[in-house]
Amino acid sequence: MQTRKIVSLVLATLLVSTLALAGGKGDGGGEKLEQVKLVYMTAGDVNMLALGQNVIAPQLAEKYPGIQVMTVHTGPGNAGSQLIFEKLEAESNSNKESWDVDVAMVHQIFMKWAMEKDLLMPYAKDIPAWKYVTSPFAKNSLGVDIEGYAIPMFHSQTALAYNPDYVKNPPKSYAELVDWVKKNPGKFGYNGIKGGMSGVSFTVGWVYWKTGKYQKYAVSGPFEQSEVDSWEQAFKDLGEFNKYVTFTGGNVGTLDALNRGEIWMGPVWVDMFFTFMNEGKLDPKTRMVLPDPGMPGQPMYFIIPKKAAHPEEAKKFVDFVSSPEFQAKEIVMRFNWYPGIDGSYLKGAIPQDIYDKIYGDVTPEDLAKKGRAFPLADYFSAMLESYEKWIK
Amino acid sequence: MADRLSVRRKLRLPPYLLLLFPAVSFMLLMYAYPFVSSFTRSFVVSDGKLGFFNYAKTWDLYLKDIAFTFAVTVFSTSVTAVLAVLLAMYLRFRQSVVSGMLAGLYKLPIFIPFVVVAQMMTTFLAPHGLLNLTLARIGLINIDNPLELFNFWGLSFGFIWKMIPFSVLIIHGGFQMIDNSYIEAARSAGARRGKVITHILIPMSKSSIMVALVLVYSQIVGTFTLPYMLIGGKIPTTITVDIAHRVNYFRDFGVANTLGVCSYLLVLGTAIYYLRSSVKRVTEAESSGR
Repeated sequence: MQTRKIVSLVLATLLVSTLALAGGKGDGGGEKLEQVKLVYMTAGDVNMLALGQNVIAPQLAEKYPGIQVMTVHTGPGNAGSQLIFEKLEAESNSNKESWDVDVAMVHQIFMKWAMEKDLLMPYAKDIPAWKYVTSPFAKNSLGVDIEGYAIPMFHSQTALAYNPDYVKNPPKSYAELVDWVKKNPGKFGYNGIKGGMSGVSFTVGWVYWKTGKYQKYAVSGPFEQSEVDSWEQAFKDLGEFNKYVTFTGGNVGTLDALNRGEIWMGPVWVDMFFTFMNEGKLDPKTRMVLPDPGMPGQPMYFIIPKKAAHPEEAKKFVDFVSSPEFQAKEIVMRFNWYPGIDGSYLKGAIPQDIYDKIYGDVTPEDLAKKGRAFPLADYFSAMLESYEKWIK
Repeated sequence: MADRLSVRRKLRLPPYLLLLFPAVSFMLLMYAYPFVSSFTRSFVVSDGKLGFFNYAKTWDLYLKDIAFTFAVTVFSTSVTAVLAVLLAMYLRFRQSVVSGMLAGLYKLPIFIPFVVVAQMMTTFLAPHGLLNLTLARIGLINIDNPLELFNFWGLSFGFIWKMIPFSVLIIHGGFQMIDNSYIEAARSAGARRGKVITHILIPMSKSSIMVALVLVYSQIVGTFTLPYMLIGGKIPTTITVDIAHRVNYFRDFGVANTLGVCSYLLVLGTAIYYLRSSVKRVTEAESSGR
């Protein structure tokens, strides 16, 4: 009985919000110059909602008084991107002439799904900010050619955070980490592969280290089953490593455990690390190191659906957020991400002390040398599944 | 003649069918269809072929998780049963200020969503969390070697904490329906409190106890947030975490549906019991009514 009530309540809420969405679109569609309601869907954690609702929407409305942004938040991780994908796919299947969603913020894997189904508009080269975009992630996402279909809004990197009170001499590489963990059992913590992407990232970095085939797995391909079959020992070693490890409850769980002193070291997202620190939720002494041969990071992308109702306004939206001023002030200084556009355009726009803090432990050289991409989609799935297969 | 009769029969749809239509169609659309489709799609492999491939993969990768889910569920349900019956007893027999306060207080967790419970448990049960710090302060443990509770025991603790109030609500309701005269009769015949409980209260409210347990059991099997936030990255973990993993990272609905079918199987026994007992109750009520 109780579950049924909950289900019907959820359904009612969904229905009401769908109606509200549809109604909102109708209002804006009529008068062209007066008011355009731009529907912006974003995946990601709640900070992405805050970015859309509290930062982009008011600032864009100030610059273009005719544009009103409505932010729809779908949730963290690939699951959030999947909801956006399902929405676009449904609109495509319905053969509607203009789609509800005007612009969206998505993860890398979304690009593979959406490119396969031809759901996106090749808009990126039309906007002025394209000239600032130099990242290789703008050309290729998990092995899929996406040039022109997406602009990275920010780049996020994983690294090992550590407590310098206990870790005087942090391991500089995965190999050193293995030795360190054996000397300090239970003091390294991560969240496995089902508890969030920082653990996934650590695992992917492990495979890159053990195999030394980053180039093939993440850049050139092709996918070969024989590669997957060769990973047995790498994962069994990780299983052995896991015996000396504390498992944490998610990306946030690792940071919390570091802060409470339960663990002394663990993989974290750099932006979350700085956000926690700015909010006083992490000991300011805590530091980071990006171990050899590197750990993955990922961008999130702006896309415009193929038949977006307001493509011109959507382009203005993306152009605005990709401008060096906005990237410096909001993306880097407020949200602690690395910029999506070329960092050299931000020189002078960021105060030196903040620049030093953000690039202090993980330097731009580190990022260039050891900031890795996640593997091609097929290898990525195979790595996650091999983890489950070999580590029992 | 015969033709006419059959035509008449066809035309004469009982009017109550019309009344049933909205409810039944809702049930079919919202519950039966997803259930059947998840069952059939568990046999569909990603390239559209039919077969037991998903089941083989589930067997290979997730058997330990299914066993783990079953173990956690059975353990949590049994402990919940014992504690809920004891608490319901207490509330049934004691009428004091304390029991009154307790009666108000115990219902609180019912209104706390699982995701909040999960957040509470992650900080409460953490190695340097509230529980361990308290125990260390009292001197029961050394904080450098705290209780590890992000595992079977911590997960069960969370479930039990959340589920006891819900089952007490049902079981206590059952106890209240038993007339005091039965208890007094037993007492005047010399039964002590223990006897009253085991021979009068529990047998007479068996059905409400069982209903509570069936509902608790099936809720635990299907809960995602608590295991995800507590032991999401661990091995083994629960079926629900695996389902989310298959969908989020692989978009693999085949194996996800297979895991779904496994969880249906886990609750199948209890569901059958629930249906049978409610059918029995209805027929008993009908026959006694006539």
